[in-house]
Amino acid sequence: MKYIWFLILVIAFFSSCQTDNAEGDFVVGSDYLSISNKVIMIDTLTVNVSTINLDSLITSNQSRILIGNYTDPILGIVKSESYMKLTPDNFYIGSSESDTQTVTYVFDSIAMILKYDRYYYGDTTKTQTINIHQLTQKVKPNTDDTNFYNISSLTYDSKSIGTKTFHPKPIGKDSINIQIDANFGKNLFNKLYNNEITDANEFEDLFKGIVIKPSTTSSSNMIGFKTSSVLRLYYKKNNSDSENSLTKDFSLTDLTKQFNNISLDRTGTIIENLPDSKNKLSSELTNNNAFIQSGTGLACRIDFPFIKQLKYISEKGIIVDAELVIKPNRSSISNLFPIKDSLQVYECDNLNRISKVLTNSDGSQKLALLNATPDEFNENIGYKVNIGAFLHQEMLKTTGAKSNLILAFPNISKGVNRIILGNQKNAENKLKLKIYYISY
Amino acid sequence: MKNKIWFVLFFASQSVGLYAQSVATSPYSIYGLGSLFETDFGPISALGSSGIALPSTSFINNLNPASLGFIGKHSFFFDTGLKGTETNYKSENSSEKRNNFQFSHIAIAFPLNSKSGVSASLKPYSSASYVISNFQLPISNSNEFYNLNAASYGGLNTFDLSYGYKIQKGITFGLTTSFYFGSITNNKDFTIANSITNINKKSFYSGMRVTLGNQIKIDSTFNIGLTLKIPSQITGSKTQSVTTINDTETQYIEDNVASNVDDYYLPFEFGVGLSKSIHKNFNLTLDYEKSLWKNTNQNSVYGEFKNQDKFALGLSYLKKEQSFYYLDKIRYYSGFNYDTGFLSINNKNVNNMRFSLGVGIPIESTKSALNINYSYGIKGTVGNQLVKENYHMIGINLSLEAIWFVKRKYD
Repeated sequence: MKYIWFLILVIAFFSSCQTDNAEGDFVVGSDYLSISNKVIMIDTLTVNVSTINLDSLITSNQSRILIGNYTDPILGIVKSESYMKLTPDNFYIGSSESDTQTVTYVFDSIAMILKYDRYYYGDTTKTQTINIHQLTQKVKPNTDDTNFYNISSLTYDSKSIGTKTFHPKPIGKDSINIQIDANFGKNLFNKLYNNEITDANEFEDLFKGIVIKPSTTSSSNMIGFKTSSVLRLYYKKNNSDSENSLTKDFSLTDLTKQFNNISLDRTGTIIENLPDSKNKLSSELTNNNAFIQSGTGLACRIDFPFIKQLKYISEKGIIVDAELVIKPNRSSISNLFPIKDSLQVYECDNLNRISKVLTNSDGSQKLALLNATPDEFNENIGYKVNIGAFLHQEMLKTTGAKSNLILAFPNISKGVNRIILGNQKNAENKLKLKIYYISY
Repeated sequence: MKNKIWFVLFFASQSVGLYAQSVATSPYSIYGLGSLFETDFGPISALGSSGIALPSTSFINNLNPASLGFIGKHSFFFDTGLKGTETNYKSENSSEKRNNFQFSHIAIAFPLNSKSGVSASLKPYSSASYVISNFQLPISNSNEFYNLNAASYGGLNTFDLSYGYKIQKGITFGLTTSFYFGSITNNKDFTIANSITNINKKSFYSGMRVTLGNQIKIDSTFNIGLTLKIPSQITGSKTQSVTTINDTETQYIEDNVASNVDDYYLPFEFGVGLSKSIHKNFNLTLDYEKSLWKNTNQNSVYGEFKNQDKFALGLSYLKKEQSFYYLDKIRYYSGFNYDTGFLSINNKNVNNMRFSLGVGIPIESTKSALNINYSYGIKGTVGNQLVKENYHMIGINLSLEAIWFVKRKYD
């Protein structure tokens, strides 16, 4: 029986040095490998594209004074006017409340200094005329609200206190000066000079703020200004020959008290019949195009009406990835109306109520990115976004309403950039959706 | 003595439990329940796996339970072995060498009385070990591709209980009940567009099958045998986890969700064999076996199956069983085996052919022997996306006979 012991030793030895290397370079039957897990691509799912009108973009606290008026050849007349409350640091003239020099000061002039923030849209070679009016209503949101919207407005004195026609130089120059009515300035100076105003409430009763409006007749562009723009009052010593005037600034100390009213007059355009904010205008009614315009609230909604059908491909399956490529109408893009290199993607319900912003795995906002720069026009230009996780969730939904996507430019409340996007039936700028599916 | 045997059995069964599940890494292991692990006891491997007609008089014949009816009434057999394989894989573009060395089986057999005997054995049935790296596969309905990385390990074992009975002189019948059990773990990563999906599946299988056998001793030099394997099914269940990662998020689609897997069907098989002594020193064995895999209507997840034909031929030589010279008692074996295979891949059968040589070195004065065999074989072909495997196989097994019951009689 001693052989048994020998054998045990042999077994133990070989068991311990059992080798099994497997590089995996040899595969037989690739067709077979696809049987238990089918991987397919679906590019025929119907995608409905429409234009919607988001009516309540918050335009207060956006750090931009947006003023302008231009006619978009496709969408209509775009106009933005900016309302703001301006306040001084203190309520006296001179270097301090007890400045002994104060009695010697006299009013000189007053001007609105608007500082360019480099944003512009439209034709800046054309002049813009702006008018400044005094508000007759305090800059205060409606009760139970802290925001102003693109549709908000306040009453103002029809008499302008300042006007200027200028060639906008948003890149070349720092600011423009608009001379303000001297009587208005003098009145403001005197009230402070005479200590008739000593606190913010008294000041606001006297001067509620201004609205800067573009002239509706001449301008053809939209210009952004910084919220560090000021209303500057110049004064100097009486009988002084000194050229050096002293200044007192009225500034935007509270950015929630500044907003832009941005409007679009669609009369006579292809989107004249855009319904209210709870409805949509199918792209099939607008030459297979959908429209996005920041500021005025035009956005592109994308519906996937038959997404649940994909559930029947196999008993169990996952949409692992989906690539949506939506193409801008190339003829609508020009140097005057450039497009941005990304689109923000939101999830919404059937009444266009946004429930969330789509995000990436690192928590950053998911953007549909333009895969070519505008000056390198080619066939492949388009905004690309991966929406696999969203579609998977939609496919599996058994209860609850369907969700849709909304595409809009980032900073939707700040500018007026627009874009025209093709749907699945648009021959030239066809929307493409590729869904990657695996059964398990 | 008896305690020692049980100790060895215990030890060896532990080894089986630990090592039987990693047998080979054949590319063909993706099919069915893995590549079948063919192991035979005693000198059968060296005889080209022929021996349906051989009696279990000097070793345990695993091919036919009816052979146990011929077991000597005082014999106790113990058989265990090792198998080493070096395989050269060759496809149209490249080749690669892999090797594997492992425990192959353990078995015992003993008579119940002068007319019947029983045996029990444990051995690997299949190996589902394979690795697939960075394999490109087409995405249906597109001209794009996805990338597959896969690793699988595990396989099935069988535990056989056999009984053989001699109904009259020279005629025996036998029955084997085989229990199949094991698990296969399969991990796949699919890189599809900008996503990676991981599917981790652990499948558990169990099943039972009955084999009937018959042997007839026509005369002292000529035996015939017959086996019938009853079709049966191996039922499975699995737990599966599915995760998919894309740029948006990691989605846990399934986490260890249990479900059934499609049953695997074992076909009806029948085999016939003969054994003929020639000139006293030589013995010729010849087997034919047919497996009706096609009729199993196997689910396509296991592959496409064809009916299988197996031909086995063996020749052994012994100078003298009782001799003064040790060298005279050494047995020499040679064999040939051809098998059409039961898998059809891209309409090509994966056939297998092998030649074997072996020696049986007698131990002590019993029928115990150390059997060493070497085989060279070719499986599959190059082309049609198939892989050709050229393999060298060495098997060592120890077939021990102890004379028990005689001793007990005189205690």
